[in-house]
Amino acid sequence: MEIKVNGKVYPVDVEDSMPLLWVLRDVLDLTGTKYGCGVAACGACTVHIDGVATRTCMLPVSAAVGKEITTVEGISTAPGLSAVQRAWIDHQVPQCGYCQSGMIMAVEALLDENPDPSDDDINGKITNICRCGTYQRIRAAIKTAAQYRIQSIATDQPSKS
Amino acid sequence: MKRRAFLITGGVVGGGLMVGVGGLSYVNNKIEQFSGTGMGEGHSLNAFVRISPDNIITVAVSKTEMGQGVYTSIPMLIAEELEVDLSQVKVVHPQCEGPYANLFFANMTPRDFENGLTTMEKVFSFLPNVMTGGSSSIIDSYDHMRIVGATAREMLIAAAAKDWDAKTEDCYADNGHIHNKLNGQWKYYGELAEKASKEKAPELPQLKARSEFKIVGKPSKRLDVPDKVDGTAQFGLDVRLPNMKYAAMRHPAFVAGKIVSVNNVAQVESMPGVDKVVIIDEGVAVVAKTTWHAKNAIAALDLEEKEHPELTRKDAISSLKKVLEGEPAKVWEDEGDIETVLENAEKVITSDYEVPYLAHACMEPLNCTVLVNGDKAEVWTGCQSSTFVLNGVSEGTGISKENIKTNITYLGGGFGRRSETDFVRKAAKVASNFPGTPVQLVFTREEDMKNDYYRPAVVSRLTAALGNGNILGMKKKVAGQGPLFQMMKRNIPFMPMNQEDDQMATEGMRDLPYKMDAAYTDMSCIELPVPVGTWRSVGHSQNAFFTESFMDECARELGKDPYEIRKEMLGNEPRHLDVLNKLAEMSNWKSELPEGKYRGIALHKSFGSIVGQVVEISIQDKNIKVDKVFCVIDCGKIVNPAIIESQMQSGIVYGLTAALYGEISVKDGKVVQNNFPDYQMVTMKTMPEIVVSIIDSDEYPGGVGEPGTPPIAPALTNAVFAATGDRVRSLPLARHGYRFV
Repeated sequence: MEIKVNGKVYPVDVEDSMPLLWVLRDVLDLTGTKYGCGVAACGACTVHIDGVATRTCMLPVSAAVGKEITTVEGISTAPGLSAVQRAWIDHQVPQCGYCQSGMIMAVEALLDENPDPSDDDINGKITNICRCGTYQRIRAAIKTAAQYRIQSIATDQPSKS
Repeated sequence: MKRRAFLITGGVVGGGLMVGVGGLSYVNNKIEQFSGTGMGEGHSLNAFVRISPDNIITVAVSKTEMGQGVYTSIPMLIAEELEVDLSQVKVVHPQCEGPYANLFFANMTPRDFENGLTTMEKVFSFLPNVMTGGSSSIIDSYDHMRIVGATAREMLIAAAAKDWDAKTEDCYADNGHIHNKLNGQWKYYGELAEKASKEKAPELPQLKARSEFKIVGKPSKRLDVPDKVDGTAQFGLDVRLPNMKYAAMRHPAFVAGKIVSVNNVAQVESMPGVDKVVIIDEGVAVVAKTTWHAKNAIAALDLEEKEHPELTRKDAISSLKKVLEGEPAKVWEDEGDIETVLENAEKVITSDYEVPYLAHACMEPLNCTVLVNGDKAEVWTGCQSSTFVLNGVSEGTGISKENIKTNITYLGGGFGRRSETDFVRKAAKVASNFPGTPVQLVFTREEDMKNDYYRPAVVSRLTAALGNGNILGMKKKVAGQGPLFQMMKRNIPFMPMNQEDDQMATEGMRDLPYKMDAAYTDMSCIELPVPVGTWRSVGHSQNAFFTESFMDECARELGKDPYEIRKEMLGNEPRHLDVLNKLAEMSNWKSELPEGKYRGIALHKSFGSIVGQVVEISIQDKNIKVDKVFCVIDCGKIVNPAIIESQMQSGIVYGLTAALYGEISVKDGKVVQNNFPDYQMVTMKTMPEIVVSIIDSDEYPGGVGEPGTPPIAPALTNAVFAATGDRVRSLPLARHGYRFV
């Protein structure tokens, strides 16, 4: 079968039932998407499938065939970073950093759907687990990212720094 | 590689390497003499700093980055004295070598550079004990890394002066250049590095005064953050090597149990993608084409298992309670005459407390990748100690340590769980079956949670003598397993310890800052088959809950304000008093809260830092909303205030998660909890607002990774008491029917 990840088509010779997470990580070596729990409870494995934030550790790869899959490796539009990534740097969100790919993907999708989320909207939609407890900075960064998107500052595309 | 031989001939035994004046002479030795590869291009000025012709400063950071910010704070210390911008700095993690040992653990005190290494420090260098933990990274590095930077700076100045035929005192370093102040000449460090590398290092260079600092003390952005927002940061589980295979394993389902036999090896080996079933002492692994194939295969294993006889009969907490009633194993504190003070008291109050076992639950499940090649091996993992990584690979493969190369990645959380060798040793054993092929072993989340070295379950009894409106004395008894005792037995067996000598079991229980006529602490020990270890803030994690809850009980009994009573009793402790007063001021402690809102307070010193917290909650029926946490820390001299703030937030969330939900229980000999759905975490929804204030003091730095954790549980349960009159003496709160919104 073939899957399309970050705009690129990959032929993959795997079982239909193999979760997308493991196809990304162990077959395509796209390791930005993380394994945290395997039961879709922690959100570390979140990617976008046709723009919808999806936990991939229990999702059969066959369900993603013919769809646009976007991972953390695909959200920065070269050479720049996305508004969310920039806000993550502004607020110095990551500590150990392991959950942050999934967090960022969940937040990108939240802002696509709801450009100016309230605290309750954030609490309802961002249910990922961060063991380092970076939630306060995540909340602040979501609000900054929302502003960046609204002001279209993101199109400036500064380089990663 | 012959590094250990080098250490012996040129080192401790020969008397030259580690024992020079100020213990610094090894700084003369270059990176390549220790960690020849992977240290970047250029010329090394000492064991920590290498400078490339294009002015990239590669620094060897010997502490591992697990979120606590050492890959930023330690380069800041070097860059400050080296006079370079942090943007020029690249961080690498060195091999496990003498100069990179954490010498704080030798005597639990910072090194004295003027008087040289103590005997224990020499031993720790020789081993070497390369270890990240105990919130010790900055304590171990604050002087050392500034000296390292200053030494390199002086060598660059010396090289430039020679080049220009100038006097060194006419030359100075600034922003990656050496300048000649007489004629305005200047050179990049990159141009001077080769010559500087041949200069003799000064024994003890002049360090800058704090008032001259440009980097240290300011909120520099973290060097690891860019890689952590675009998915490029490499954790152990992200290591990908040519022809790599993936493995998962089943440990015995019974705690301290045994797998007697595997009934379906052939069937599992015929499953798609499966290479081999590998039986090791610790369990059964399956090596496969992908992690998913390995996971499926271990789920299909049909195992014959034997339980641990003791655990199916005994309940840990009731065993501990029985032990607490008996004679203590060791008296840890006996100031004044506690029995007389209790006898003469107007009133005596006693309370029993208990806390459960807790799992670390790092976001990145434990994993390790090993490649065995003849009599050599290479290992990739995120571990808190490269010493333990070498031990684990050597034990697992029989390969001698000098033939093992370590690659220490970012850690997806450590919290004490990654200061162990088990996952490395198991991976090495499995990889031994595939010579020439790298094998990555991962513990599934369930295996990770069920095979932890847990925070011990502990019970305690606190008794206070009250009189004249004061606490006159406190008798504290604690019963539990020793986390350090077990950790040493597992990982450092040549340094045996008796369980009653485990100082971590009573840390934070004894030596309280409050002035009383008498203070007494003892410890009762128990040998239980449940494995325990170091969990963020270790003994402090429960002992602060016991003592600071009991302080609140005493205050209520005496009709005093919980802030005021602490203030009265801190007369001899100005740092504690400053933290407490600042906390009262920022939380507006004396103000009335709106209806339905309540607050609690706690203060605790751990790892050289003093932290006070006030928690504000709203409560309706049994639904608690933790609204806000005020946090004040005095961690001595500040390195990076932004990292200190984030570590306070992190420590608070870690402790709050435990206080609300955390419990690992053993039923019918097995750990009950499996995964996040039954080992719940604080999330965005339950996250309080946290306000942090840092007191900038002139004291030697303390730690910041752990001290945020201990005060949160008692501050919270003290708030619950203020709200409901319900004194919660056992954790977690969920056990008492509370819910969190």
